[in-house]
Amino acid sequence: MDFYLGLAQIVGVHTLLGLSAYCVLLTGQVSLAQAGFFAIGAYVAAMLTVLAGWHIVPAIAAASFVAGATACAVSFPALRVKGLMLVVATLAFGEAVRLFFFNFDYQVAKGEVKIGPAGGEGFRQIRFFPENGWSTLDVLIFIWLFVALVMAGLWWMDRSRAGAVLRAVGEDEVAAQSAGINVTAVKVAAMTVGGFIAGLGGGIFAHYTAHIEHAQFGVALATFAIAYPILGGLSSVFGTLIAVVFVQGFLIEGLRFLGDWRNLLFGGLILLAMNVRPRGLIDAATIAAVKRMRTSNKEPGNARTQGAE
Amino acid sequence: MIKKSLTLVAAAGAIAGMVAASAAEAQERAVKIAGFGAKSGVVRVFGINSEAALKAALEQINNGGGVTLGDGTKGKIALEYYDDRCNAEEGISVVRRIASTEAIIAVGPTCSNVAESLFGILQKKVGDSSDSGLQFPIIADVAAKGGLAKISEWAFRNVPSEFEMYKSLFAWVKTQYPDVKTIYGGVEKDFAHSNATFGVIKTQAEASGLQLLGQGEWLLNDTTFSTQVREMKRANPDVVAISAHPFTTCGVLKEMQRQSVKPKLLIGLTSSSSIETLQGCGVQAEGIVIPTSFAPVTPEATKAAELVAKFGGSADLHSAAAYEIAFILKNVIESQKVMGKPDTVAADREKMRAGLAALKETDGLLGKVGRTADREAIKPFLFVHAKDNTWKVLHRPAS
Repeated sequence: MDFYLGLAQIVGVHTLLGLSAYCVLLTGQVSLAQAGFFAIGAYVAAMLTVLAGWHIVPAIAAASFVAGATACAVSFPALRVKGLMLVVATLAFGEAVRLFFFNFDYQVAKGEVKIGPAGGEGFRQIRFFPENGWSTLDVLIFIWLFVALVMAGLWWMDRSRAGAVLRAVGEDEVAAQSAGINVTAVKVAAMTVGGFIAGLGGGIFAHYTAHIEHAQFGVALATFAIAYPILGGLSSVFGTLIAVVFVQGFLIEGLRFLGDWRNLLFGGLILLAMNVRPRGLIDAATIAAVKRMRTSNKEPGNARTQGAE
Repeated sequence: MIKKSLTLVAAAGAIAGMVAASAAEAQERAVKIAGFGAKSGVVRVFGINSEAALKAALEQINNGGGVTLGDGTKGKIALEYYDDRCNAEEGISVVRRIASTEAIIAVGPTCSNVAESLFGILQKKVGDSSDSGLQFPIIADVAAKGGLAKISEWAFRNVPSEFEMYKSLFAWVKTQYPDVKTIYGGVEKDFAHSNATFGVIKTQAEASGLQLLGQGEWLLNDTTFSTQVREMKRANPDVVAISAHPFTTCGVLKEMQRQSVKPKLLIGLTSSSSIETLQGCGVQAEGIVIPTSFAPVTPEATKAAELVAKFGGSADLHSAAAYEIAFILKNVIESQKVMGKPDTVAADREKMRAGLAALKETDGLLGKVGRTADREAIKPFLFVHAKDNTWKVLHRPAS
């Protein structure tokens, strides 16, 4: 049971990472900086709980704000470029963050041992959860509380004017600008929210892995971050969740027994999924079909409704 | 009459079946252990070798009658090996999966970055009810970064002390190469083990009186090293010490050959004293000196190397540690009277932890291995050098 709870923790944290990229992708921008914001969140939150002795809630809140503020600051120069140039710019930022933590050494003496980030050797003993007696289930509930909050927030946003504005910018910038939308403000806002969510995910990630180091926040993580919403589809926040379950639950954990073949299948199955569902696992057609089903079930003459009566 | 005969035959069959079933049950009584490490990615060879070594050792144990369990019955040791891809998050997931099975201990991981995370999620102090960390014993065979077992009392290692190895090596260098005065370092900076060991190498080199002229840095996945080697050439050191795994060590050595960098002495990372280095760059590695805790210099070590090869692996200082661990576990299972039953899994895990913690000395392939209070090993070691595409023993400090 503990294994499945642990797996659900991983799914939760990766969902936050994917949702951070989802926000940015809605505006039509491809950002590889999410791993950088995730790293900032991880290091800030870990330093606050381990070095400053903060509780995890204010620590990850502060980490999210720092990551969000960094994203906001980065987005102004980064969003001056588009398309592939933006990909390169955000990738460069992500690598700069990773290399910063690679060289970041801030250890303080705690008794006989030194604690804190130690450059390339990483930051060990981030043990808030076990030291405070949190069970695997407690941690799971904690993580999914934030996942639910973020998903609910994005779901609500998608149905509000803000969501329409984001999608308008994503569909056609010129048309959106013609309609009076401040495109730069929208993009910066999306990047900031994305950075905030990535920082939140990173803060939690640092605490459930107990040790972080620069190598965890490289290009591979940045690629996963954008792969989740693209694979899941941008029509709904639930697409990202489905994609994370598919990748982490099925491709990584479910196929572990295949040994070396797993890596070969990994890429192949993602390619297959993208070919079968080119607009994502949950696309607009799927959502429309679900809505139709729900509507038909609610109609008075519906057989299932009659049966229920 | 026919009906009576059929009834008798059926009854006899049922009894035979029951006897056979109980015999099979007794025969199949197995103590489950798990292994895990990188079986894919750049360092996949570590996992492949460790799995082969564990299988080779367990075949020896099981063919020799298995283990005596707590109730006096004989049992086999069954192994299941998992791939963690040298990824901390996957390593945690793998150990949670192993802990949800009947495995009483896990052997692994192969990567220090995975060990850092894994040992971090274990309960720090045994019996601390306020610590909800995982209570599951793990003994590492490959993860070599210094001091990892200190993280948790459920964590153990059977890896050599690189601090002692390089301290001894530089003391020996001082006596054998009195004319060398300067050293230049090269480090695979993004790999926890090589990066941490480079710190040890630098410290010990300077302590022995060598002057550090500089250091080149590269990453595990790098394939070009011309800039680093050019700077190395410019420094013109007497000694070059490369703290990197076989893949990039070979890249650097080939580049050194291309740029005609010929130091008086080459020193390598413990992990590079493997067959992969010889296969990748045997010619360029000629003469490189590496401290290691394994070489086929004893009958036991020679036999282990042959058996590991039979299972598709290669015996080196890492896989030899896995081989030794299998025999350590056999002894602990017997001394702690482990039951190996589904309803005794939790108790058996505690017994394994207690048994490993109580060890003061174990049998190793090169001789006796001491155990420290912080659950680390003090292994005998020797210096090997690459000569004619094989590893030859250059010096045995203990002898």
